[in-house]
Amino acid sequence: MKRILPHPPRDAKPRLWRTLEEREDSPAFRESLGREFPHGAAGRDGGEDGLSRRDFVRLMGAAAALAGGLTGCRRPEAHLVPFAKSAEWTIPGKFLYYASSMPSPVGAVPLIVTTSDGRPTKLEGNPLHPVSNGSTDAFAQASLLDLYDPNRSKEIRHDSVTVDRAALDSLLAGIRSSAAGNGGEGLAILVGRDHSPTINRLHADLARQFPKMLWIADEAISLRDAEAAYTEAMGAGFKPIHDFGKADVVLALGSDFLNPSASGLGYSGDFIKRRQPSGTMNRLYAVENHFSLTGGMADHRLRVRASEIGDFTAALAGVIGGKTGNTPLKTLASAFPAGSETFDQAWRWINGVADDLIASRGRSIVIAGPQQPAAVHLLALGINDALGNLGETVLGARTVGNPGPSLSGLCDAIKAGAVKTLLILGNNPVYTAPPALDFPNLLASVPETLHLGLFEDETSKVCHWHVPGAHYLERWGDARTFDGTVCPVQPVILPLWNGISAVEILAQLSGEKVDGPSAVRATFGGFSRDNSEEAWQSFLRNGFAPGTAWPLSKPAFNQAAALTALQAVKPRGSGDGDFELVFLRSSSVDDGRFANNSWLQETPDFVTKLTWDNAALISPADARMLGVQDGDFVKITAGSRFLEIPVLIAPGHADRSVSIALGYGRKGVSHVMEHVGFDAYPLRDSTLCFRNSVGVVRSPRTPYSFARTQEHQNMEGRDIAREGTLGQFRKQPSFASDMDGELPDPVSIYPNPPLRGDLQWGMSVDLNSCIGCNACLLACQAENNIPVVGKDQIRRGRDMAWIRIDRWFASADHREENLEMLPMAVMCQQCENAPCEAVCPANATVHSEEGLNLMAYNRCIGTRYCANNCPWKVRRFNWFDYNERPLDELYFGPLAPKGMADSLKMSKNPNVTVRMRGVMEKCTFCIQRIEEAKIGRSVAAGASDVEKTPLPAFKTACQQACPSESIVFGNISDPGSAVSKAKADARTYSSLKYLNTKPRVTYMARIRNPNPAMPGADCVGAANRREGHAADHS
Amino acid sequence: MPTTGNSPDLSALERPPQVLNNRGPLWVTDAVCSIVEGKTPLWWYAAITVSGGFAAAGLACILYMIVTGVGVWGSDSPAFWAWDITNFIFWVSMAHAGSFISAVLFLTRQKWSLSVSRSAEAMTVFAIICAGVYPAIHIGRVWFVWFLFPVPNNYGMWPNFSSPLLWDVFAVSSYLTVSSLFWFAGMIPDLAVLRDRATTKIRKFCYGIAALGWLGTARQWRHYESMYVLLAGLTSVLVVTVTTIVASDCATSVVPGWHATIFPFYFMVGAVYSGSATVLTLLIPLRALYPQLKDLITPAQLEKVAMLLLMMASCVGYVYVYELFCAWYSGNGFERGAFWERFHGTAAWYAVTCLTINLTVPQLFWFKAVRRCLPLVFALAILCNVGMWFERFMIVTTSLLHDFLPSSWGNFHPSIVDILTATGTLGIFFTLYLLFIRFVPVMSMNELKAALPGAQPELGEGH
Repeated sequence: MKRILPHPPRDAKPRLWRTLEEREDSPAFRESLGREFPHGAAGRDGGEDGLSRRDFVRLMGAAAALAGGLTGCRRPEAHLVPFAKSAEWTIPGKFLYYASSMPSPVGAVPLIVTTSDGRPTKLEGNPLHPVSNGSTDAFAQASLLDLYDPNRSKEIRHDSVTVDRAALDSLLAGIRSSAAGNGGEGLAILVGRDHSPTINRLHADLARQFPKMLWIADEAISLRDAEAAYTEAMGAGFKPIHDFGKADVVLALGSDFLNPSASGLGYSGDFIKRRQPSGTMNRLYAVENHFSLTGGMADHRLRVRASEIGDFTAALAGVIGGKTGNTPLKTLASAFPAGSETFDQAWRWINGVADDLIASRGRSIVIAGPQQPAAVHLLALGINDALGNLGETVLGARTVGNPGPSLSGLCDAIKAGAVKTLLILGNNPVYTAPPALDFPNLLASVPETLHLGLFEDETSKVCHWHVPGAHYLERWGDARTFDGTVCPVQPVILPLWNGISAVEILAQLSGEKVDGPSAVRATFGGFSRDNSEEAWQSFLRNGFAPGTAWPLSKPAFNQAAALTALQAVKPRGSGDGDFELVFLRSSSVDDGRFANNSWLQETPDFVTKLTWDNAALISPADARMLGVQDGDFVKITAGSRFLEIPVLIAPGHADRSVSIALGYGRKGVSHVMEHVGFDAYPLRDSTLCFRNSVGVVRSPRTPYSFARTQEHQNMEGRDIAREGTLGQFRKQPSFASDMDGELPDPVSIYPNPPLRGDLQWGMSVDLNSCIGCNACLLACQAENNIPVVGKDQIRRGRDMAWIRIDRWFASADHREENLEMLPMAVMCQQCENAPCEAVCPANATVHSEEGLNLMAYNRCIGTRYCANNCPWKVRRFNWFDYNERPLDELYFGPLAPKGMADSLKMSKNPNVTVRMRGVMEKCTFCIQRIEEAKIGRSVAAGASDVEKTPLPAFKTACQQACPSESIVFGNISDPGSAVSKAKADARTYSSLKYLNTKPRVTYMARIRNPNPAMPGADCVGAANRREGHAADHS
Repeated sequence: MPTTGNSPDLSALERPPQVLNNRGPLWVTDAVCSIVEGKTPLWWYAAITVSGGFAAAGLACILYMIVTGVGVWGSDSPAFWAWDITNFIFWVSMAHAGSFISAVLFLTRQKWSLSVSRSAEAMTVFAIICAGVYPAIHIGRVWFVWFLFPVPNNYGMWPNFSSPLLWDVFAVSSYLTVSSLFWFAGMIPDLAVLRDRATTKIRKFCYGIAALGWLGTARQWRHYESMYVLLAGLTSVLVVTVTTIVASDCATSVVPGWHATIFPFYFMVGAVYSGSATVLTLLIPLRALYPQLKDLITPAQLEKVAMLLLMMASCVGYVYVYELFCAWYSGNGFERGAFWERFHGTAAWYAVTCLTINLTVPQLFWFKAVRRCLPLVFALAILCNVGMWFERFMIVTTSLLHDFLPSSWGNFHPSIVDILTATGTLGIFFTLYLLFIRFVPVMSMNELKAALPGAQPELGEGH
């Protein structure tokens, strides 16, 4: 643990010496010099003077470091250096940054990990990496909390008895030796699909050693249908990658490609770059059953049941085939069972899209959702082929190949008695497997089972062994982003609770000795062109290996294979009167893996604004038909199983369709996920995102009370979020600010002190690029130590988020068909003439000379007058001691245990005060980052003029995380700054301008690009039309 | 007015006597003092047990709230203020009627108010105490409430003098000081009477201390009268300024439904309206429980209070209509929206209850038969105060529920702590009032006696 610092060799006897031994320079003396703590230093008799002063200080320093003062300072280097000795690369109080990445089945998120005194406190996108470009998704931001989660499993258990690491080692050694004997017969390993080259290498290694071993890589929300289609049409191992930067027209078929969490950050950036009304703006069509982020962004959106998207695609393919005279496409379309007559009403829609796509041949994209059936993917590829998009906007990526058998393959093997030892590394199949597989019972029948996971979850309860998993911030590894680029997974802290990684276990099985990065280093040579130490170091430092992306080429489209596959598709069930049930990837808990993450649980869903729960989403028409309102229970019967779940009426939802987010309703794992939502996994019968012929009836149970952060979705004719069409923008570029009409000259009877700072902070939020993806919310939560308040408090309207996304629904003609969604990020507007400041009796909220509306927590007594007077209602009050008391015992007052879990303390940003009860808080524009930059500027300026020295570049947390760069922050007194340029844009407007509060946050209006040939085109971009009110009046 | 010939019949203009049945000064003294000197009636014990119980429960809730957090109330976002400030305004407004009746009517020489003024002043003081509880405890960190006072400190930090909440601090504290002084000053000669009539040493000592050595000399009376007029003048001014400042809490904000220049007037008339109702609520039972007071608290006087109530209620009704008209006439979508939403949604019943009661119930007082039927007056007065509580809630909270961004719109549900704290202040109020009845002369004997026929011969009859 300590570094041996060699002493410089000496040529001759020293002229000065302290002891005769030193003068003699005997070998014994040299050895004792080398030892930092001379043997028996603490107990040695020490002669006349006992311990030397130096020894004493050294020992005391070490003792203090070990005794707890710095036990939180954990760093992964093999040589741990106590801060008493100040390692040369650390400056106390300064952050250290490491490049890493968050592995994910949809594609890793390249990260820069901010560590403070050895604790990771914030994750940010890797700006060097083209996929991230500095941004992240919401899950990556929140994954930090998982690291510090006090509910993580901490001990290795064998049949519920805690055992030590040696027991695990001997188990693995036993498995290895028996597998070596029988070629791995009876050994099965189930892993997730994180696309880790090291896991793949170890897999290959194990498969070579134990050829009979069963290896299953699968996920709860599997992409196998899509992959099967790609294999049929493009060849094994290929997947399409779309170049949205080139696409003028995009059609999304049940695809939420704009959601960064669903597409591995892949597409939103490129898409948004083409969304600028000043350039050649793209056009987006969306066909989906529920409002997704993509549907909210779309220029034209068609409500279609998820199971009918195939019919729609076939109809569209038929029309395009007919219009372009492309017989193969027509053949493909007609091969799809069930006619296209379902879409009689949508015929104009289909024709309009077809014409637009044909007009943009080679510059269009038809993209199908990853969980759509293979037929939809085949038809989409066929359309792309017919439009000449293949090789232009749709490229083929050659991935690592066949995914191998799925979970059902494992079940078959268990049933056949072919599995004696099963290692489950990370997955939670007991919770997620479709009930038809009967996985829990099968798992219990396997004689030797081991589960590796962050939590003792449903699966570990059935397994004999449970091994605490290492969080990705605690372990070595590697991962591929969605385009295949390999990123390192670097540990930035020693495992908090002795977690072990899958790589370690697999390496142990394969007989490879793992020492720190050795396993990853060994893989590095496999994927990197340059295996030098320099290349390895720059891989770690830059956070990715350049040139490791999957090679892109013009994909082949195997018409004949596609046709055969389509002809094999069975017709859809004819239960037309029945509902379909659609399974959604949750925006908060993914497939359930983040169920214990209270940051995510408390983050409202993008569209429903629901926290801490899922719900059965149904259309307003279905709600009327069933006679239910928000919170009323329905009984959903699918096959022999049923689920009673409360409904949430979702405007824009397809009729006869119910959508439920997966990942909720977990029980018996931790108190965080108790009483959170309803488990829809048991209703699944396949890996597809939907199933048909589901019965939905009203259930008499007492209505459920949802915790939503926004109850009212209708702008009530107030021009809060503003939008217009491209034509309108070109004719009248300042249409958004013109909506304010003629405001009288602002008169202020109370002159505010002048804002004299040379830096004046301001922000611009571009509603045209804001997808509404929640990344900014989570970034703000991590950066600003925002507490979680729990479901009960959210129900009472006491959420603490400093930045929220208001989601508006608007329909210019009151019809569900023409409903539009408008997200709008709202944070403290930092008004120059702030209403909150005037009313605070204690002077706790005041203005800085740089135009910031400051909160002095220490001065705040909590009258809440400021919050009443805030027109944007962005001020948050600490009704209870959310940081210090358990959330389920808030009402117990001093009787509740006090204090925060030690591990959670470590997650806090040391530069931001943790607020106590009774004080008001709100967005500060990340003042800690502003001040850090100003200090940096002062240091750089030295004796020269500070004001003339450029400020170090920095971003606010929300700005940094935003995948579509819709938030711009900076110095508005510098006309050259990005924020000044954004504010000078014609689309810029101030919300609630007539109040004359002079907000420093301005918005840029959203522009939609309607196709005049489409039905309802006159209702697109018309959310602010005067006579128009939203269809929904909830 | 019927006229006969050239000489008009002025009998209709004759004012009814302030004390009925030609009672003399000694009878007045005996009647009032007997309440304090007599045996404590059983109902008094029962009443103080109930009100003291509520007060104790309320104080326990306040203690629980302070150690746990403001979150134990139902207040939320956007209703950051709910029952706390509703009750504050309710009580502080009620207080104003007491001062109005005693000080303003004293200065304008309205003799009919003599018998009710002492009770009204007591009501003022107790209502301010109840009101003052809320701003002190509603804050998030009660232990820093001293930040509200301009205490010199080494940071050079002062409160924000532009905040109406700070004006409230000064307004309410000066109002409490002045109205307590005014109330106490009025009692001094009466306390001296009690001292002089005292039969026990303790009684003599206590009232002796309280009477501040009053001897009733002409010199003392001269000083006393001028002091009393000055205090009455000061109190009268405060009646207007304090309501105006409390109204500024709302009026100076930007919240639609709060931000209106009519608010000082609105609060003023509402205050006298609810205060008159409270005076009726307090005096009618007092008169029934102590029959000897029937000659002192005359139906004619109570009728005057009811008429005052009617006038103020009509002003309040005018403001309701005016507010709605202005919201419509302004053409401002936010203003219109605030008033539209006030009558829609789950919180609409507050506004509906308020308007229904305050626009209809007081109008019954146009009928003499109603004004003369004391049990009915009592019941209607209680209803009026219920209506006024709903009005305060409507102004304070339902305005907050629907402000600028519909995305922030929310709801409010009171918690049990809210309810018990509110009933607790009612308990405090009635406990103090019961103590007042028992230990202090409930009406101003010296003024009543001065108003007896022939008491002031130099001024002639009728004064």
